[in-house]
Amino acid sequence: MKVELWGTRGSIPSPGPETIRYGGNTSCVGVTLSDGSLLALDAGTGIRSLGLALAAEPARLHILLTHLHLDHIQGLVFFAPAFRAQTEIVIWGPASPEASLRDRIARYISAPLSPVEVRELPCEVSFRHCPETEWEIGSARIRAASVAHRGPTLGYRIDDGDSSLAYIPDHEPALGADLDALDEDWISGFALARDASLLIHDGQYADAEYPEHIGWGHSSLSHSLSFARRTGAESTVLFHHDPLHSDAFLDGLQEEAKRRWEEMGGSPAAIELGAERASYELPARAPSAAAAAS
Amino acid sequence: MTQRPLELILARNLMSALSTPAFLVDEGGVLVFYNEAAGILLGKRFEELGTVGPDEWGSMFGPFDESGEPIPYDDLPLVVAVRNGRPAHADFEIRSTDGMRHTVEASAFPILTAHGSQGAIAVFWPTSSNGNGAGH
Repeated sequence: MKVELWGTRGSIPSPGPETIRYGGNTSCVGVTLSDGSLLALDAGTGIRSLGLALAAEPARLHILLTHLHLDHIQGLVFFAPAFRAQTEIVIWGPASPEASLRDRIARYISAPLSPVEVRELPCEVSFRHCPETEWEIGSARIRAASVAHRGPTLGYRIDDGDSSLAYIPDHEPALGADLDALDEDWISGFALARDASLLIHDGQYADAEYPEHIGWGHSSLSHSLSFARRTGAESTVLFHHDPLHSDAFLDGLQEEAKRRWEEMGGSPAAIELGAERASYELPARAPSAAAAAS
Repeated sequence: MTQRPLELILARNLMSALSTPAFLVDEGGVLVFYNEAAGILLGKRFEELGTVGPDEWGSMFGPFDESGEPIPYDDLPLVVAVRNGRPAHADFEIRSTDGMRHTVEASAFPILTAHGSQGAIAVFWPTSSNGNGAGH
C-alpha cells in the first residue's frame, strides 16, 4: 500500500511562501492498494494535484470522505478524472438523517457555488453511505466509524495485506475526556487506529492554542500524542495543519512532537508532521525515511 | 475489543462534566456509566461498581414506588426509553448503599442515531432524602 499526501492543511487553503514545505492545499491523501486500486481520502484542494498526477486514466476510483466541511470537498469540481466520461468514481461518506450524501454534496456542486451540477459531471459518479460493517475495495478491507468532530464525521481504517492505515484528520477525542485515563473502548476512534502501521491524525493546534479552540473539533499536540500512544500505532503523521501555521512554526511543532514522543518511550523517527507530496510505503518504511520521497 | 458508539462516548463525556446525577445504558440496556453526582446519590462510585447487566441494576438500588413496593424493571424510565425509543419520566424512591432513601424524579430519553438506537440517558433530580434506611 502506497500513501501519498496531496493536501495536509486544515480549514482553508493557505498557499504562500511561508507554507511552501508543508503545503497549503487542504486535506487529500492518495492511496494505491497492493492490487493497484486507487483511493482518495477526502477531496480538499489537494485532490486537484492528485488528479493531474494520475499518469494513466483510472477506470475506477473511490473517494472516501470523512465529512463534508468545505476543506474536505472543495477540490471535487477540480478533479480531472471527474471530467472524463470513461471514469467511474464512487464517493463514500457519512450518512445523515437530514439528506442523502448526494444531495448534501450537491449543495456545493451547484449554482451559485459551482459552474457545474452533479448531473453534468461527465464521469460515472455514484454516492454511497459508508456501512457500519467492514467492506472491501480491491485488495483492502475498509472500516469507517464516527469520530468526535463537529457534525457527522468518519474516520477510516484500510487494511491491505499486513499493512494498515488509519486516517482520522479531524478529531477531538479529548473533548471532555482524559485520554490517559479512559478505557480504550471509550476513546473516540480507538478501534480504527489500534496498532495501525500508519496513523494520519489531526494535529491542528499547539498546546497553547487549544484552550481558545475547545470544542472546535480538533486536537492539541498533547492530545494527538496521547491518542497515538494509547492506540499503539507504529508510525504517526500529524495532519490538518492550522492555516495560520507557517513552515517555521510547524518545524518547531515537529521538533517538540519528536522530543515528547521520545520522552514517552517512542522513537522520534516514528512521528512527524505531514508535508504535501510526502509518500509512505506501508509497512516497509518509517515516516522519517519516506518523507522526502517526493 | 468492541468500540463504543461515538454517541455513547460523547454522552459519557458530557455526563462526566455535569453535577446532575445521570445514568447511561447501551442499546442492550447494560448500565455502562453513571457520573460522580449519581455516585454520591447511590453511595457508590461507578468505578467501584463497573458495568452492570440489565437484570441486575434495576434492583440494586430499588427503585420503589410511593407505597414502598419495587417498581417492575419494565416500567423504569431508562428501560422504556431504550426499548421503545421514546422519552419517559417517573417519580420514585431509591436506596443508596448507606441506607439513605432518596425520592427522585427521573427523566430518560433514547439516543437515536442514523444507525438506530444506541442506548439511553437518564437524569435524576433528587427531591428529598431520608436517613431512615429501615423503611423497606
